Amino acid sequence: MKDISRRSVFHIIGSVPAVAALTGQAASAANGTYKRKIFDDRQWRTVHVLCDLIIPADEVSGSATEAGVPEFLDDWLDFRNREDGNENLTAQILGGLQWLDLESNRLFQAGFAGASPDQHKQILDRIAWPERAAAADLPWVAFFSEFRDLTASGFFSSKVGVADLPYLGNKAVVQWKGCDPKVWAIIEERMKNGYQGLGGEVKPLLS
Amino acid sequence: MPQVQSKPKTYDVVIVGSGAGGGVAAHVLALSGAKVCMLEAGDWYDCTKQSGMFQWPYNAPHRAARSKAKPFGYFDATLVGGWQVPGEPYTNAPGTDWRWWRARMLGGRTNHYGRISLRMGPYDFKSQSRDGKGFDWPIDYQDLAPYYDKAEELIGVFGTNEGLENTPDGKFQPPPAPRGYERVLKIACDKLEIPCIPSRMAILTQPLNNRPACHYCAQCGRACSANANFNSPGVHIFPAMKTGNLEVRTGAMAREVVAGPDGLARGVAYIDRKTRRDEAVYAKIVVLAASCCETARIMLNSKSGMFPNGIANSTGLVGRYLMDTVGSPVAGHLPLLEDLPPQNEDGVGGMHMYMPWWLYKEQKAGKLPFARGYHIELGGGRRQPAAGAFGGSDRILGGGYGLDLKRNLRKIYGANIYLDGRGEMIPNEDSYCEIDPDTVDQWGIPVLRFHFKWSQDEILQARHMQETFQQIIEAAGGKVLYKSGPEDNWGIANGGEIIHEVGATKMGDNPKTSVLNPYCQAWDCKNLFITDAAPFVTNADKNPTLTITALGWRTSEYIADQVKKRNLAV
Repeated sequence: MKDISRRSVFHIIGSVPAVAALTGQAASAANGTYKRKIFDDRQWRTVHVLCDLIIPADEVSGSATEAGVPEFLDDWLDFRNREDGNENLTAQILGGLQWLDLESNRLFQAGFAGASPDQHKQILDRIAWPERAAAADLPWVAFFSEFRDLTASGFFSSKVGVADLPYLGNKAVVQWKGCDPKVWAIIEERMKNGYQGLGGEVKPLLS
Repeated sequence: MPQVQSKPKTYDVVIVGSGAGGGVAAHVLALSGAKVCMLEAGDWYDCTKQSGMFQWPYNAPHRAARSKAKPFGYFDATLVGGWQVPGEPYTNAPGTDWRWWRARMLGGRTNHYGRISLRMGPYDFKSQSRDGKGFDWPIDYQDLAPYYDKAEELIGVFGTNEGLENTPDGKFQPPPAPRGYERVLKIACDKLEIPCIPSRMAILTQPLNNRPACHYCAQCGRACSANANFNSPGVHIFPAMKTGNLEVRTGAMAREVVAGPDGLARGVAYIDRKTRRDEAVYAKIVVLAASCCETARIMLNSKSGMFPNGIANSTGLVGRYLMDTVGSPVAGHLPLLEDLPPQNEDGVGGMHMYMPWWLYKEQKAGKLPFARGYHIELGGGRRQPAAGAFGGSDRILGGGYGLDLKRNLRKIYGANIYLDGRGEMIPNEDSYCEIDPDTVDQWGIPVLRFHFKWSQDEILQARHMQETFQQIIEAAGGKVLYKSGPEDNWGIANGGEIIHEVGATKMGDNPKTSVLNPYCQAWDCKNLFITDAAPFVTNADKNPTLTITALGWRTSEYIADQVKKRNLAV
């Protein structure tokens, strides 16, 4: 399984499989003390805009930037540079951010961060759906998929994101009762009716 | 003033290693009255004080991501170790990509392991007689059954008695109720006539010996600050220390077993990691439980006039017939589970249901292209979000961004599952470890070099796993998210990657074809015993820890009995 180890499969289901005592605390985004390691000022502005285009605020929770995702991303790229022994991921992300600016300038004579909501949409709609994208845009589709995954992961693993989902565990349960009967009743009803869910197209990944 | 001459203390027993095998030996021997010294290469560890339980990934570096230093994530209980141990390399022969997980800490890998506790069945001890491949064990299920009972009653295992073929029942605590996705998978398995039953795990669902029942936070891998799951320090070592008969020396890196001119073991030479000084501990009986490969390494490095090829290695079989478990995962998405009312799906640290091997009759009738079976492990649900959460969502949602994406990600949370096989590997001539003549570790101790090959039996078994798991996901109305095919040998894990390495000092009933006798006593050195997984003759699909514990218990009782009968001098 080349690049995808058996343990990586757990990423797909959304968590680290096995779980040392906390010796340090992560850099805090909220207190404003974060010191950037990767992004320059221009990239930093683009990252903020792009993160909030991917995960905006809604009636449930705040936006990606409010959850500290830009800080998470900067720290993550630095971490991966050290772990991977190469800067491939950083190159892909910075390359994609540069393309967003170049394309936005070409089409709208404005950098991506300064473009209008409609102009953002025109660009993102080309790269946000891999199956619909034009061949010429594929490198930027790959960039966007990576950026979306990082933003989603950064958002939903944050305190804001955990409350949004919500993830209701990480606490002592006095009596474990298994699946909530009300939830199970819904599942059973769905089984009878052939529930199709969101109906999204699921694409198998061959390792 | 006259000079005081102090004679070095001689213990009854010295045990190398503090994991499942060392722990059970220390427990049984110290409680029987023997004076025991245990050597552990790593540091002291006490899960009740050092566990990372209830911590949040957002307070951890990089959202608790896996790293080279912490391959199973920041919260994994392994303090020092993983796929690499700093300063303690191993090497692979050309063409081999063996992985060796080591945990340098009191309790070893029992601090983080999956707690899956399955008895080997009657067929598993006599598999060569059944299909002509590999070897039979020199003992049968009935020899080990009483020790499985004792082991389960001490460590605490939940499960149900099902009466299934070659899947022995046990002394179980009640199992935890299944999670929603587990009930869905059971219904799918029912359609396919695959048994899906409550899992069997060394996690307490009822209090036992002053240990509380589980509080269902799903974080067993971080070690349990309540001591509600099995771990060697909390269950074996600390109670044994209360007898006053067990002394534990940590930071003690065993180099070799010291033998006398009579061919008997005298003790163990080790390096004190803090002072880097050579030390030794002397004992009348030596028990090795350093983990299968490390035990073989110590033996191969224990060369003397009597033992030119390493202690108790007149057969040249020390290091041979190394095995791991066949593993191959598939992940899927179940629309049925999308957009459900939120609930806490943590439960115990692992699966509440599993599927034992079920195709014995088909296999006997020659209908399967491989020998030996596997069981299916599973997972899923609304897990604690950490680094990597929601990766690859475009394969479920097609892509997107904005309010729709945010809403849809919320809806698919908890709707992914995985199935992973754990299958038997048949011992082969191409899989072994030996001393690498060119490499030493930071202590100057020669290291192991590995040779490893899967046979067609294992590869075709992995193929069967892939096909079966995809059928289960489809039967559950789901879609496959991650699978493997012929281009990557059906997803079969690298040797060692499942961390079920066993074998290397095979037991048997013939001193010419085995290293140990049926009591795990070295044929060539009667006061040398092994209680880790090195004596295993085969590696059934049943995860090794429970069998290490039962077999180690039996060996330790035998040692105590031999001392009583004066067959072994103490």
